[in-house]
Amino acid sequence: MKNKTFSADLYDVIVVGAGHAGCEAALACSKMGLKTLLITIHLETIAQMSCNPAIGGLAKGHLVREIDALGGVMGILADETGIQFRLLNRSRGGAVQAPRAQCDKALYRLTMKKWLEETPNLTLFQGIVADIIVEAGKVRGLKTLDGNRFDGKAVIISPGTFLNGLIHMGLHSYPAGRANEPAASVLSENLGKLGLKMFRLKTGTPMRLDKHTIDWDAFSPQPGDDEPVPFSFRTGRPLENKIVCYLGYTNARTHEIIRMNLDKSPLYSGIITGIGPRYCPSIEDKVVKFPDRLRHQFFLEPEGLDTSETYVNGLSSSLPYEVQAEALRSIPGLDRAKILRPAYGIEYDAVSPTELRPNLEVNKIENLFLAGQINGTSGYEEAAAQGIMAGINAALKIKGIKPLVLGRDEAYIGVLIDDLVKKGVEEPYRLFTSRAEFRLNLRIDNADQRLIGYGYRLGLIGENDHQRFLEKRGRIKDAMVFLQNEKIRLGNGEKISLKEWLKKPNIGWKDVLEYKKPPMALTSEETRHVEAEAKYEGYLQRQKKEVETMNRVDKLRVPSGFDFNKVAGLTREAVEKLEKSKPRTLGEAKRLSGLTPAALVNLYIGLKPKKRKPEGIKCST
Amino acid sequence: MIETSADTIIAISTPLARGGLGIVRLSGDRALSIARRLFRPRRIPWREIPARSLILGDVYDFQRKELIDEAYLAYLPGPGSYTREKTVEITCHGSPVVLEEVVRLGIRAGARHAHPGEFTLRAYLRGRIDILQAEAVNDLISAVSLQQAKISLGQVRGRLSGIIDELRRQVIRLLSQVEASIEFPEEGLRLSPRPMAKSLNCVISTLERLVSSYERGKTLAEGVTLAIAGKANVGKSTLFNALLNEDRAIVSPYPGTTRDFLRERIKIKESLFNLIDMAGLERPSHPIEKEGIKRGEELASRADGILIILDSSRPEGQADLNLIRKFKDKKAILLFNKSDLPQKMDKPKCQALSRELPRLEISALKGTNLEMLKAMIHATFVTPETKEEEVILHLRQKLLLEQVLGLLQRALSLLKQGHSEEIWAEEIRRALPLIGHLTGEIKVDEIMENIFSRFCVGK
Repeated sequence: MKNKTFSADLYDVIVVGAGHAGCEAALACSKMGLKTLLITIHLETIAQMSCNPAIGGLAKGHLVREIDALGGVMGILADETGIQFRLLNRSRGGAVQAPRAQCDKALYRLTMKKWLEETPNLTLFQGIVADIIVEAGKVRGLKTLDGNRFDGKAVIISPGTFLNGLIHMGLHSYPAGRANEPAASVLSENLGKLGLKMFRLKTGTPMRLDKHTIDWDAFSPQPGDDEPVPFSFRTGRPLENKIVCYLGYTNARTHEIIRMNLDKSPLYSGIITGIGPRYCPSIEDKVVKFPDRLRHQFFLEPEGLDTSETYVNGLSSSLPYEVQAEALRSIPGLDRAKILRPAYGIEYDAVSPTELRPNLEVNKIENLFLAGQINGTSGYEEAAAQGIMAGINAALKIKGIKPLVLGRDEAYIGVLIDDLVKKGVEEPYRLFTSRAEFRLNLRIDNADQRLIGYGYRLGLIGENDHQRFLEKRGRIKDAMVFLQNEKIRLGNGEKISLKEWLKKPNIGWKDVLEYKKPPMALTSEETRHVEAEAKYEGYLQRQKKEVETMNRVDKLRVPSGFDFNKVAGLTREAVEKLEKSKPRTLGEAKRLSGLTPAALVNLYIGLKPKKRKPEGIKCST
Repeated sequence: MIETSADTIIAISTPLARGGLGIVRLSGDRALSIARRLFRPRRIPWREIPARSLILGDVYDFQRKELIDEAYLAYLPGPGSYTREKTVEITCHGSPVVLEEVVRLGIRAGARHAHPGEFTLRAYLRGRIDILQAEAVNDLISAVSLQQAKISLGQVRGRLSGIIDELRRQVIRLLSQVEASIEFPEEGLRLSPRPMAKSLNCVISTLERLVSSYERGKTLAEGVTLAIAGKANVGKSTLFNALLNEDRAIVSPYPGTTRDFLRERIKIKESLFNLIDMAGLERPSHPIEKEGIKRGEELASRADGILIILDSSRPEGQADLNLIRKFKDKKAILLFNKSDLPQKMDKPKCQALSRELPRLEISALKGTNLEMLKAMIHATFVTPETKEEEVILHLRQKLLLEQVLGLLQRALSLLKQGHSEEIWAEEIRRALPLIGHLTGEIKVDEIMENIFSRFCVGK
């Protein structure tokens, strides 16, 4: 294995793939003081937004806030390169509001590349990784297609759709990771040889149109917010909307064209076997599955300030180019539109995330971490979230510090990773706020309260930012005390605290300001936080109690040398799984993938302290 | 809980009564090794005992070294058994003494006595049946009347599960509507509060119907409680015995013979009745009798129905008339007893006072009109069948459904007050695990799936 290698540089961490996951991972590692190498197939496409030119949205915007609180860059970068900003669900409560930004794709890419280049401890390298070197169950480094070898103590693989990617357009297909970019096929084969359980997924992207050939008057404008809300707690400057998106609809004629050409769809003719995401259906999917719908909406989104490329959000397709063109011609306003890049579908390999530990390390191979689409997820934000966690955990592993695993009650990142490693995935996984049990607490306005402590202790959040956070936290605390102490007499003579008053629908901080001027001035961000804390108070307190109870059960210790065979009712697989990973607490057992609830109940019953072991029952304190 | 599900458990699994055969069941990892100590196969050596066959042998007291009974042993290994554990069933002669002795020996050999329903619980824990089915199995075992057995069987086949599944579907549908509008704010899925409230109301009324059917379910499971009320020495105990067809109550010509009260179950046309014979409801002469009367009155006031019994061989007294007044608005039957003796009571007067109550002349002693009385009891106290399948049999199930109901009502009230969706959605989300307790977990993916199958969302 060690013959004929040119380079034998030793790195602490090597990151494979410089997409949204890989960049966060590499930055986290290098900022934590590790000598890091980031290998990418093409240096020009670092942090490329392969699909839509937007960051954020429900649950995704939440993730970006959390990444930001941990010290990641996606938030600042989106603010930096954003050209239109919206806070979604403004009319609803704080827990389900989330920011989204249209970004300038080229600027996003170039800015990330610049930041990577300026980061100490971080080296970039252009190459196609072919093989991961594993010795005695532990990762040693990797080899590129052109024969270079790099030694690393840990390797993080985040190849996105490049892992054995196959692009489909109509009945034609060719291997690629993104249109006209080479796929990483040898790597996929070699990962399979390492014994990882692989499966195939599918996704797609719509066509890009030339903005000069669109009749914009035919569509209704969708402007950004008057007061843009930034992603990052660290973005100080006011943000500016520079573009407008437009809303349009398909029609019966469009659907007719699609229906008539379904035989040319690789999806409907059975060529594509990978499973695609249901929340991101292609236009042919929409037409087939909802035959009663007379029209489907789409958005026209500029891909940047200095380009005429326009993204057609809603018309993802793997039909042939001519059919795409014909379908567009049926839509008034797009009848003369020129396709610059046709839509296409792509199949790629993924590793079943149940192969992973909660720190994103591969169970079977020490110091090998996976992040992003390789774990079955979709979305830039989901990828970045895993990227920063894989980076942090690879660094912690090398430093011999115990891993950072966020709880489901603590962060959407926790929900995401817990879902992945525990439940596995069948279709590309996207995060939704519904997936969080503690949704009212996992908010954008308190992401820093929840997570910035971790970022600070890891060295990813600087002293100044942390200081600013502490001041903010102080102001919020004062505001809550003020709300608690000040009373208001209602029309019916009832006297209640301002906090109780705030719980009423349609009462907000602005009403408080009108009633009585508080001693502290809050930013609009802080206002949202205070409102949410008041309005959700009862729920938050109850959830806190539930979490405490859950944690108590989770802390139930599994004595060392515990014989899982003695637990009645456990299946052989369950016993094997438990014996292999030797959980130290019931909580750790719970987080193991592939254990059924029935197995956990049995284990719980088997673990419940018996009389002769009184030291196990100290839980009533 | 000191016991664990790792223990091997033992219990008599046939009714404790004199019968031809009785079965003792052992379940758990050590079932076979425990059985080995108390059972000796006759024709083959122990190690050759095949699975799933009846083996003739003897139950043997390994401590006193004496023979207990001739018996059959059946060994059911692993997941093929009822509990999915290793199971041994020993079939002996049906004497309770013998069966209890076998259990005692089993416990000596290391088994633990099973809790009521523990075999079924294990079946549940091992994932063989869902919890609704587990409870229905319990009912099936303890079913004392055919009527109930029928309902229990229906449940085992998933009938009640079916109805609660429908409730589950309704809640999933409702929640997915709300969640879709939250997750996809730009797809125009937002519903105005009014249709949302309407869907919520629809689920709420399903729940209310299910909860209210509990009362009828209770009647079926526990039987109709029927109190026999009358002054002393009008023949209450004689009637009690006559209906039971055996001498359960001590009958004497002296008033106040029944000082406490007696309770027995009888079956009339497959319906179950708890018959209560009480001390005479009048001025007590003895402290014990006083206590008996007090408890009797309490019971009568809680009973589902009353048999008012008068002695028509004597003129009506004030106590008789008071009795009629007291119970005339309850479900009751007015009985003129001792029709075999010369009649001295002003029956039309008593009848006028009792208004609409059904009435009958009987002689409990001679058995006159007893069959007629039974028919009348059935007709009066057993409500006609409505929707049999909606009956909820367990308090636990009712309490769960009431909790779900409470949460949904709260959601509705928050919605009407104008609170934001995610707040009242939280109440519905909290109801999911409760419904899950009834029919199995509701996973988020199910909500998402419902969203994607109903709404065309996504870029």
